[in-house]
Amino acid sequence: MVKPVLLPTDVAFLSSLLLVGLYFWAVRRDLLMRERWRTVLATPTGGAAALILCLYVAVAGLDCLRVEINGETKSLLDYLVSPLREHVETTYSAPFAAYGYAREVIPGASGAARQDYPRLRYGARHLAQPSRQMHADVLRRGMAGAGLGLLFLGGLLALVNRLRGRPLAGMFTPLTESTWRLQWLTAASICLALGWVICLAPYYHVLGTDKVGNDVLYLTLKSIRTGLVLGVVSSFITLPLAVIFGIPAGYFGGWIDDLVQYLYTTFSSVPGVLLIASAALSLDLLLQQHASAFPSLLARADMKLLALCLVLGLTGWTGLCRLLRADVMKLRVAEFVTAARALGTPPLKILLQHLLPNTFHLILITTVLDFSGLVLAEAVLTYVDIGVDPSMESWGNMINGARLELAREPAVWWSLLAAFCGMLGLVLAANLFADAMRDAFDPKLRGATSPSSS
Amino acid sequence: MSLLEIQDLIIEVGRAGAPAQVVAGLNLCVERGSTTVLVGESGSGKSMSALGIVRLLPRAARIKGGAVLLEGQDLLRISEAAMCDVRGARIGFVFQEPQDALNPVMRVGDQIGEVLTRHRGLRGLARRTRVVELLEAVGIPEAGQRLNGYPHQFSGGMKQRVMLAIALAGEPDLLIADAPTTALDVSTQAQILTLLRSEQQQRGMGMLFITHDLAVAHQVADTLAVMQAGRLVEIGSHADIFERPTHPYTQHLLRVSPRIQPDLAPPPLPVEAEPLLIARGLCVRFPGRRGLFGRIITQVTAVDNVDLIVHGGETVAIVGESGSGKTTLGRGLLRLLQVDAGSVNFGGREFFELDRKALRQARRDIQVVFQDPFSSMNPRLTVREIIEEGMTAQGLGGSRQGREQRVARLLEQVGLEAASIARFPHEFSGGQRQRICIARALAVEPKLLVCDEPTSALDVSVQAQILTLLRTLQQEMGLAYLFITHNLGVVAQIAHRVVVMHQGRIVESGPTQTVLFKPTHPYTQSLLAAVPRLP
Repeated sequence: MVKPVLLPTDVAFLSSLLLVGLYFWAVRRDLLMRERWRTVLATPTGGAAALILCLYVAVAGLDCLRVEINGETKSLLDYLVSPLREHVETTYSAPFAAYGYAREVIPGASGAARQDYPRLRYGARHLAQPSRQMHADVLRRGMAGAGLGLLFLGGLLALVNRLRGRPLAGMFTPLTESTWRLQWLTAASICLALGWVICLAPYYHVLGTDKVGNDVLYLTLKSIRTGLVLGVVSSFITLPLAVIFGIPAGYFGGWIDDLVQYLYTTFSSVPGVLLIASAALSLDLLLQQHASAFPSLLARADMKLLALCLVLGLTGWTGLCRLLRADVMKLRVAEFVTAARALGTPPLKILLQHLLPNTFHLILITTVLDFSGLVLAEAVLTYVDIGVDPSMESWGNMINGARLELAREPAVWWSLLAAFCGMLGLVLAANLFADAMRDAFDPKLRGATSPSSS
Repeated sequence: MSLLEIQDLIIEVGRAGAPAQVVAGLNLCVERGSTTVLVGESGSGKSMSALGIVRLLPRAARIKGGAVLLEGQDLLRISEAAMCDVRGARIGFVFQEPQDALNPVMRVGDQIGEVLTRHRGLRGLARRTRVVELLEAVGIPEAGQRLNGYPHQFSGGMKQRVMLAIALAGEPDLLIADAPTTALDVSTQAQILTLLRSEQQQRGMGMLFITHDLAVAHQVADTLAVMQAGRLVEIGSHADIFERPTHPYTQHLLRVSPRIQPDLAPPPLPVEAEPLLIARGLCVRFPGRRGLFGRIITQVTAVDNVDLIVHGGETVAIVGESGSGKTTLGRGLLRLLQVDAGSVNFGGREFFELDRKALRQARRDIQVVFQDPFSSMNPRLTVREIIEEGMTAQGLGGSRQGREQRVARLLEQVGLEAASIARFPHEFSGGQRQRICIARALAVEPKLLVCDEPTSALDVSVQAQILTLLRTLQQEMGLAYLFITHNLGVVAQIAHRVVVMHQGRIVESGPTQTVLFKPTHPYTQSLLAAVPRLP
């Protein structure tokens, strides 16, 4: 029996992506916006960050499409990386290890038991004498991976060249050309990494295994969805709140402004962690009372994630709201708004046609900057056990689990490092992207970089 | 050897791939004890040249070639550290906007003293004494106390005096003044020009004065250099340029510069004309200082008991200096801000008694054109959407097609090509934008157009075109204008009647001929006396 499954957070995440897609479709004819987005992508760091963000979004998107087969729910990502998912060891093992991390009692051939490091069930299983063959094997497979990566890159370059109508002869010039070089180098690194993972990961645990023997690379990949869902869905909850409260407050002033100010001052005075902790605890209680509504562990964990998004969204709108209010207060005395009033344009239309489009750069930049804050918040909240469910793969859970492992001798450093790198990649890319966006969209900065009139 | 000699100065802006030359080979000399005026319209490269001399160009611009010789030393070839000894000590600089050029959180005495310490090595009492001397020299009374004030406690003219004191503090050989009076009222402008001229002559400095206003140039210049699109088109003595201009561009500039001449003003309308707008006893007050809990302690009366009548098809100019309440009066009449007392009868209806819905409909008859052609249009809308806005709001023009035809017709009326319809405001020049703004106002077929300084952000030649357009539209459509301006030269060209405002009150009103050429009120007389005039 094959049946597609859509969890609430999957729906929320995929529809958020759809909204982003719709936005780009809507502005595709707007020359000004096209020019600005082009500027963002043409900025070396902005373009490279966009590529990395796309990779993350693709992984998370694949992880959101699930099917139920014979009562077992798996995502497309699970199928794509099934060797990683299925190669479960008994406990810790270091990256590229052939033997376990801890000594075990191994029954000998002659019946006499001895204590030794056991061979791993899956890691380097294909080698008869790992200590002698491993280096050569890793090197050989690494070369094959690099070759595969270069093949990907070549295909990509050929495709782009064909679309641009350039001769095939100068195929590798984008890599040496100055303007788009960093973007192409990033694409090349992504291709190489993909090639290595495809060639090495089925035979080795490239990032080791965790306490219960799960492959850390697999956990890291699965964590991407949790982090992205949290960041994206929470952002999409804050957006309408900030816009609906902030813009009218700035435009109308008076009692509306007083009310909104009161609201956001109150909200930002409540300690966020406390609010989230209380929400998490009451949700736990609620889930226990209605256990029948959530039959599987997955559904329960997903509900908790959605609730966390909701709480973070409901507390996170005040910053953007304040910025929007201040910006609209400046805009409402702009002459084009006064002219609209003089023409008899109704207030709602002034808000939608004049104020919203002119504050859009602010909304975009702030949202992307806040996004990285939300991804980091997940890790922190999960670390103090009020974040996502312990059964859900997330960077916060990986770090939480790694807390004690670091104290062991020899230290188990790989899960912490993997979680750190996964998170760093996402947050750094988001921040760099926000920076590039600010340079392209913010009218104040644009004035400083473009030639001023004499 | 000249004090300053600029040789083939080339300044570029823009990306390395597609540079644009804003100054294309400038050759100019400034002699000791004389004033050279650099005249040109916006974009002519005059300010860029001035900034290039002291190597203070904005980041996007760079010097591509040439030499700037100050007493034979090439300023473009010395180190930045050496340049710091030149700026302030040998070249003083006065900027256009005193508001932006002074540090708002630093006492003015310290801002002047900074230069004295850096370039003259003065400290303590000697420094203070010198600051007082300088402030007195630039005409600031009670200098001993005022040096402890902050910039916001000084008026615009006073700030420009402080700027001049800073420029003079290093006892420079050359003073560069970049449009130092553009942001000021005419009477203040007259004082600052006199002061600049006398300081320059007393100290025997060379002065490079930059302006777009030929009348100002006429007052201060010994030598004039006219720039157009980055090139020097004509250079000559005061008499040469004003009496025997040879280059067609100079001749054109002189022709279009507004003059206050009796033969230009349109005659007053026949008395039988129907009054269109009758305002009685208008008062607008702004809350001034607020006390604890937002209680209003003082009030500023911006418009004080003003009566005004505008007839159909008539142009009434409201003239006054900044702060006279002329803009507030215009916005009050439009009900764009709260009026505290008075009534406005527009076409037989009491405008201030209309409810919200009736007011929105009534707005059709009275429209507005603003000063700044850059902020008066939503940058995110196309020209078509901008002009359609009023029609949609008022339910005019019928179908989508009907509206589009009307937009096309309006564009033609204001002298823009039909292809402009799908473009965005930033693709147009200042004058073209002002035409779009006029089309937007005309789209709802108003009877009265309130023009709030519609030409003061424009170059003189563009200004002349917009004034011609407004006159033509008046003849074609019988529009009435309420023309708010500080520029008496513009008034002389367009107004049937003039109303002079001072501190919220109307001090004099009457036909243009009478008010401009036989003024009775002392304020009007002093205002007219302060206006720089061309021969």
